[in-house]
Amino acid sequence: MITVNNLQKYFSINQRQQGWFGALRGLIKPTQTVVRAVDDISFTVQRGELVGYLGPNGAGKSTTIKMLTGLLVPSSGELQVNGAVPWREREKYVASIGAVFGQRTTLWWDLPVIESLKLLQHIYRIPEPRFRRNFAEFRELLELEPFLNSPVRSLSLGQRMRADLCAAMLHDPVLLFLDEPTIGLDVVAKQRIRQFIAHINQERSTTVLLTTHDLSDVEKLCKRVMIIDHGRLLFDGALQTLQDRFGGKRELVVDLAEAYPTVVVEGAEVLAHNGLRVTYQFDRKVVSASELIGRVSAQYRIVDLSVREPEIEATVRRIYEERLLDREPATKGGRGSGA
Amino acid sequence: MRLFWELTKLSFQRQLTYRAALLAGLATNLFFGILRASVLVALYGTRTEVAGLSIRDAITYTALTQGIIAYLSIFGWYDLMNSIASGEVAADLLKPLSYFRFWLAQDLGRALVAFFLRGVTIMLLYRLIYDITLPHGIEQGLALTASLCLSWFVSFAWRFLVNLAAFWTPNAKGVGRFAFGIAWVLSGFFMPLRFFPAWFITLCNFTPFPSMVNTNIEIYLGLLTGAALWQALASQIFWAVGLTLLCQAILRSGVRHLVVQGG
Repeated sequence: MITVNNLQKYFSINQRQQGWFGALRGLIKPTQTVVRAVDDISFTVQRGELVGYLGPNGAGKSTTIKMLTGLLVPSSGELQVNGAVPWREREKYVASIGAVFGQRTTLWWDLPVIESLKLLQHIYRIPEPRFRRNFAEFRELLELEPFLNSPVRSLSLGQRMRADLCAAMLHDPVLLFLDEPTIGLDVVAKQRIRQFIAHINQERSTTVLLTTHDLSDVEKLCKRVMIIDHGRLLFDGALQTLQDRFGGKRELVVDLAEAYPTVVVEGAEVLAHNGLRVTYQFDRKVVSASELIGRVSAQYRIVDLSVREPEIEATVRRIYEERLLDREPATKGGRGSGA
Repeated sequence: MRLFWELTKLSFQRQLTYRAALLAGLATNLFFGILRASVLVALYGTRTEVAGLSIRDAITYTALTQGIIAYLSIFGWYDLMNSIASGEVAADLLKPLSYFRFWLAQDLGRALVAFFLRGVTIMLLYRLIYDITLPHGIEQGLALTASLCLSWFVSFAWRFLVNLAAFWTPNAKGVGRFAFGIAWVLSGFFMPLRFFPAWFITLCNFTPFPSMVNTNIEIYLGLLTGAALWQALASQIFWAVGLTLLCQAILRSGVRHLVVQGG
């Protein structure tokens, strides 16, 4: 569905210089710096996949999406989506895709939602029966009813996102790009949007590429995740692989039956010891959870226990901060595993 | 085509919601019209005719130019520029539609409202104050209708072209002010082109600008007949086609040059 080979996008940015003299010099001979927004990225996405595209601010996520949707022309590299080169045949190509940008709406600001959707029917030349069928389905799934007649500018962020999602799906696109669709939404609104995304991916086998900051989006929706930072693809594979390889330490919380002066166990560190509750921290590479539980229960009498996995968020934060993946080429281990 | 009319209709409806702006525009157009008419009357002094224009024609000229301001967005049009600068352009380019036709349809809706509610109203108000020339005869009526339609198209293509500058510079307003300012003078909006020296008129005729305002006026005042009339209309068609092709070519390279900010 998507084939990307050595994709690059550079921007030249005029550097503002300081002081009177600098400003004058900038007027005559601007100093330009080249920013490599996307720097040599390659990947493929199969039909029906739901892929998460992750990265911190300014990593190159949106630039990639803009190239994939035909808005930006790549500086170099190959790019094929649904059998077309997006920017070359823009008008034809965009008829087959849908896109939602969390930051801005694709609807008309001053039109009621329903009018916007009807205009889209004409733009995409959707036959009346198909339009009616799709609209009826999305109206229910996204609960559009209460604000169908309100102008887009008066909608809440969550309502606007739902209207935008409906707009992007009305013409049955084979591929849907979602650029931060849950940004700034509350938990309930996020949940509703995630359900919708999962629904169209499963029921309509729409291929979905989802960029997000919100790791719980990825956790709930995507089997496969790609991580980009500084314009380079750092990881491409199953979410579980990411966790196994880079996940931090796990924790074992134990409720003891009686108080012990020391609660030391081999292979784990005591993180906290409050009365009858002890928290151990351990590394999956050193000891497995069942081994550790065995050791603890052999030494002490236990009432209850639970294992806490490190949060995916912490894992990814560590990847960004410590640049764990920087020195190795993009991991291709899980490629296609979500297909 | 269905989409084109839907867009036109929406833009038409949108324009109708700006009631206060409509009244303010009318008042301003009329005020400056009377001012311009008074200046011309004073300049005529004891003369009854200047460059083939009677004093009545001169007053009618101010009525026509004031009435046409909104219809042709003579004082400039920056909507497309703003949409590029704000990044809204991205949402439109994500839709399978011709960008030129998309804006053309919307401008048509705007122009229709402006023509009837601003243009025709100004003419009627003038009629209450002055004894202005009225067009007569079917031939003149048809020619005037054709010329008015073509002048809108040429003016739109010119405005579209100027607005495309925003693809290259984040501050294209300056380009716009310059370009629209030139059109002011060379189109015959500022002064009837006939008042200028012959070499200047020849120069103007090498530009699309007389096709926007001057042709309408000369046809209305009955100054163009026979071959000259056909020539003027042909010139309008030439510029309509030429500018459209230029718009398409520049638009194509502009879109390739596009940098969508932020996000």
